[in-house]
Formats: sequence, C-alpha cells, structure tokens
Amino acid sequence: MLRVMSRRGDDRVTWDQQRALLGDPEAVAAIREAERIFAQERARGATAFRVSPGRSPERIEQFDATAEQIVMVPRVVGG
Amino acid sequence: MFTTLEWLVILAAISPVVWLVVQPYLRGWSRADRRATHLLRDVLTPEQWHQVLWHGYLEVPSPSAQGRVYRVPRARGAFVQVIENGKAVMRLCVQPVERLPEADILLLHKLMIEANEEHYLQKANKYLCVDQPFSSIHPDE
Repeated sequence: MLRVMSRRGDDRVTWDQQRALLGDPEAVAAIREAERIFAQERARGATAFRVSPGRSPERIEQFDATAEQIVMVPRVVGG
Repeated sequence: MFTTLEWLVILAAISPVVWLVVQPYLRGWSRADRRATHLLRDVLTPEQWHQVLWHGYLEVPSPSAQGRVYRVPRARGAFVQVIENGKAVMRLCVQPVERLPEADILLLHKLMIEANEEHYLQKANKYLCVDQPFSSIHPDE
C-alpha cells in the first residue's frame, strides 16, 4: 500500500503483488498508478519510507512494489 | 417509572445541552484527522499509541546516540524536545511545507528521526535549553 500524507489525511493506493505477478491486469495497473504517484511526489520533494510492523522505517529512493507499506511525507523545512 | 412520553420529553430537554458540549469536538474531528489518526495507529506499537493518547507526545529513541530521546508533541506548532540522559537540552522545529493533520505531523517526525536522524537534524532549527527558554543556536539558512 502507498500512503501519501496530505491535508486530506492520507491518499492511498493499494495493490496485490501476488496477482500482479500472475499477470492480473487490474493489479498491474494499480502498481503502475502507485509508481506514477511515487515519482510525482518525489519530484515535489516528498520523502518515502518503507514501513513494516516491528521494524525501523527505512528511507527509500525507488518505488518498491514488494513493500508492505510505503508512507510518503511532504518536504519539510526548519520552522 | 417513566413512561415513553416522559422519556421523550427528558431526551428533548437534554439534547440541546448535549449537542452544545459535543459539537466543538465533532467539528474539530474532521475526515482528514480521522484518516491521519488511523495511519498513525497503524504504524505505532500499542505502547507508543498509549503514550500519545495519555501523554500527548511520543518519545522516539535516537538511533545513533544512547541516552538521547526525541519527545515529539501531538500539538501542532509545538517544539520537539531533545532529552539527553533525562535532561532537556534542545528544542527543534521542523515543519512540512503543506498543512497536515496533527497525527500526520507526529508520524512525520518519527519516520524522519528513525530512518535518517542526521538529515532530520540538518533540517531542524535548533534552540538551546538554557536559563532562557529559547535561545537560537542554529537558525535556518
């Protein structure tokens, strides 16, 4: 699942990696959409983290379709 | 024992008062806040979630420095406290460029500290905790 923080809370894109591997067109399209949003947000300065239960979050530069959850946070500045 | 009619009268009498008490909370609890809170709850452990609920902040241990903890408040606009060996030594201010619900801001700090503490500290404006409450030591360039 890709979750992008925004003023609306978070926007979500979900996909089924197993079905995508079997060539399910809907699952493949969902991954492509998540990848597109990931690239778009990164271009805007957002940072992406791979988040898994019980593990420290990991900053990632490339979209990872195998990630259980990717959380994207907008660009930050010193206040 | 009250009859149904009497119950209805009592309900009608107290409902405006109940509404006046509850309304401000309902208005502040928007869909965005609910979604952000849901995300925060998904990511935090039950212990961390209870800390946020009961204390209004989340303590994030430093991945690099033993004895250092970042106390991230839930309240919007509040400083992140850096606590070393039980003593507050610094306050940090880092904020997103776009407006986010409070729960998202708290999670943002946690993710940044745990995944890349050095980068987080580079971004933050730092204020020393000395005799005076806030004394800037590193204003943002």
